[in-house]
Amino acid sequence: MRIGDSLPEWHVEATPTFVISTALATRDFQDVHHDRDLAVQRGSKDIFINILTTTGLVQRYVTDWAGPHALVRQVNIKLGAPCYAYDTLKFFGQVVGREDQDLTIEVVGRTGHGDHVTGTVRIEVPA
Amino acid sequence: MNAAIVGIGATDFSKDSGRSELQLAAEAVKAALEDAGLTPSDVDGLVSFTMDTNAEIAVARELGIPELTFFSRVHYGGGAACATVQQAAMAVETGAAKVVVCYRAFNERSGHRFGQVQTAAAANIDNSWSYPVGLGTPAAMVAMFARRYMHEYGATSEDFGRIAVIDRKHAATNPNAWFHNRPITLDDHQASRWIAEPLRLLDCCQESDGGVALVVTTAERARDLPNKPAHVKAATQGSGTDQFTMTSYYRDDLTGLPEMGVVARGLWERSGIGPSDVDVAVLYDHFTPFVLVQLEELGFCGRGEAKDFIRTGALELDGSLPLNPHGGQLGEAYLHGMNGIAEGVRQVRGTAVNQVENVNHVLVTAGTGVPTSGLVLGQG
Amino acid sequence: MIDIEKEAARIAERGECAPRLARDPVNLPMIRNWLEAIGDEHPGYTEVAPPAMVQVWTMAGLHGQRTLDDPLGAMMTVLDEAGYTSVVATNSDQTYHRYLEVGEQLSVTTSLEDVTGPKRTGLGEGWFVTTRSTWWVGDEAVAEMRFRVLKFRPAQKLAPEPEVHQAPQAIRPSVNRDTQYFWDGCNQGELRIQRCGGCGLLRHPPGPMCPECGATKPTYLVSEGYGVIYSYVVHHHPQVPGKQTPFVIALVELDEGVRMLGEFDGEPGVGQRVEVVFTKVDDDLTMPSWRPRADR
Repeated sequence: MRIGDSLPEWHVEATPTFVISTALATRDFQDVHHDRDLAVQRGSKDIFINILTTTGLVQRYVTDWAGPHALVRQVNIKLGAPCYAYDTLKFFGQVVGREDQDLTIEVVGRTGHGDHVTGTVRIEVPA
Repeated sequence: MNAAIVGIGATDFSKDSGRSELQLAAEAVKAALEDAGLTPSDVDGLVSFTMDTNAEIAVARELGIPELTFFSRVHYGGGAACATVQQAAMAVETGAAKVVVCYRAFNERSGHRFGQVQTAAAANIDNSWSYPVGLGTPAAMVAMFARRYMHEYGATSEDFGRIAVIDRKHAATNPNAWFHNRPITLDDHQASRWIAEPLRLLDCCQESDGGVALVVTTAERARDLPNKPAHVKAATQGSGTDQFTMTSYYRDDLTGLPEMGVVARGLWERSGIGPSDVDVAVLYDHFTPFVLVQLEELGFCGRGEAKDFIRTGALELDGSLPLNPHGGQLGEAYLHGMNGIAEGVRQVRGTAVNQVENVNHVLVTAGTGVPTSGLVLGQG
Repeated sequence: MIDIEKEAARIAERGECAPRLARDPVNLPMIRNWLEAIGDEHPGYTEVAPPAMVQVWTMAGLHGQRTLDDPLGAMMTVLDEAGYTSVVATNSDQTYHRYLEVGEQLSVTTSLEDVTGPKRTGLGEGWFVTTRSTWWVGDEAVAEMRFRVLKFRPAQKLAPEPEVHQAPQAIRPSVNRDTQYFWDGCNQGELRIQRCGGCGLLRHPPGPMCPECGATKPTYLVSEGYGVIYSYVVHHHPQVPGKQTPFVIALVELDEGVRMLGEFDGEPGVGQRVEVVFTKVDDDLTMPSWRPRADR
């Protein structure tokens, strides 16, 4: 795991089931994450993924790659275009910093509308 | 020439900017002026593309540029890119203006998409020989050249694909590139769908929203400004015999780009350098086959030999002719060639993200298949 | 007129709100629901929770109400009243000091860190509101979050663009004095090639002045309609009005020496012999196209 290493591209199909089940599993009951009629009334194209899920996906993307022994210390994310139901959310990542056992990974999650999430994850890997 | 690019600026490159084209233009010009260490009141000239929707006076109003003594436009789509700098350089040399900003801004993905069939374009008499028969996209128009080129020289789809792989490789390490972190393999290229045979999806550049601006002034003035200037060693336009826009199908030969040959002769003659003196090549790459043809027209290799030249690794960052270190329009963004000029300036300054060592001369070309233009940028 | 900055300072001055308890202790059923929904198969979450779940434990729930001293709620009210009625989250920066163990009881405190604006954004004019939350187990701070939202006044919605009626018909050529003879010829079943009345130069596409001799008296001859494919394209994407993809466009070199574009019906190849066919589009337009030359 060296600076410049790329994480394998990962695709998440944001089906309505995925959007809703993750919203509920994160105890986020806002209607825009489970009720399409209300989401459309509020000006959205469809229901969309909530922030806590995005945070969870970013964490999963990095730990899937780093392995179960890596410890997650920080997840910093900047949110962009919503990820709507039926979008494909594509994750890309790269190691951008390393100090001893501390790694910083830059992560981007994109849909056809643009960047949904950009951020960095700091992990600690076993020596 | 006695002129230099002293400032570069750009917006973010996206697929949906969420703002007007005028705002993109204003943001890019503002950023370029800040980079140059100049203010809007220093500007007295503006140059853009005929295709740009942002009037010079509108841009001047937004920036608070008080008076203009020179404003000009260049025709033929992406072929205008380097010619905007030529216009600006001629203006500052003749004293028509002191500081000229060249700009190009559009919502080319979220708004008017060049990749779609523009039915209205058939109103042009020249286009009436192509659009009504179903030849209505830039990709298809280039594909007609590409098929003949393959037939004559034995080039293959893979030979085209190697250009895409190089651009995407360079974009992968450029955080400003849309395809940052997303390199492709030749297999990816070969697996991508047909757009207009023999062109695949990955032979075609992106469609992008964004804006780029460049600040040009005299070499003397440039000395007093904060950035290392990128001197305009030569700038020229080029149009060939029996020239059409995208459909010059009626010449004896269909395997060259004679208009780029005109540019090449002009650049080598006026800059006093030749192909072997070029340290970085920023070649217009809206479609991969025309990068091969440009290598030949510009004299980097012989006719039909580009496919072999590419295989030597010459176009890699550590090769003899590093190609599009920013990722080009296939990798970074499609800004009608203006982002390529900005990359040329960064390579001369030594500030590019994929910086090539010891850069003395950068060659930049503009749109291909159309009347075009080119630049040699260099150290003072 | 509401002085937003003053209100923000007043709310910020109150500092952290009272700790709000998580409904349940960190527990395995919720962890497993979360892992299942996210699709995370990480084997390590049997006694500790995924760090990214930290905010989940203290979510207000389906019928949750903001507490009165919640600084984010208070700031939202101020901005609502000032006309900044829409909200979108822009940043979430979470730091985890340690992993949380099953059974631990969490609480959270929040303070208003920063309010800046008004800023012009792509969504409309608005204010960025930043809060800082700390999660506690007893008096141990276990995680922190800086959270930023944009509270904005929605930009005036542009009127929806009228549905562009995509003409399904083929794209029609423009015709002028210089090209009329060609399209007239097609209507009459003749493939006409411009011929200079001065020097006899054959030329396609045509023009009003002969580039060889400068004469401006073009005439035409009628082509035999035979040629070979010089190059071709198989068009797949995007859709083209009046065409069914994929289709072939061929650049044909006529036996008379000029080249001409046209749709080709068949399996194409460079050098293939073709002949012209005329396809009537409507009463005013007939298009020339190509097919493989019939054996004679």
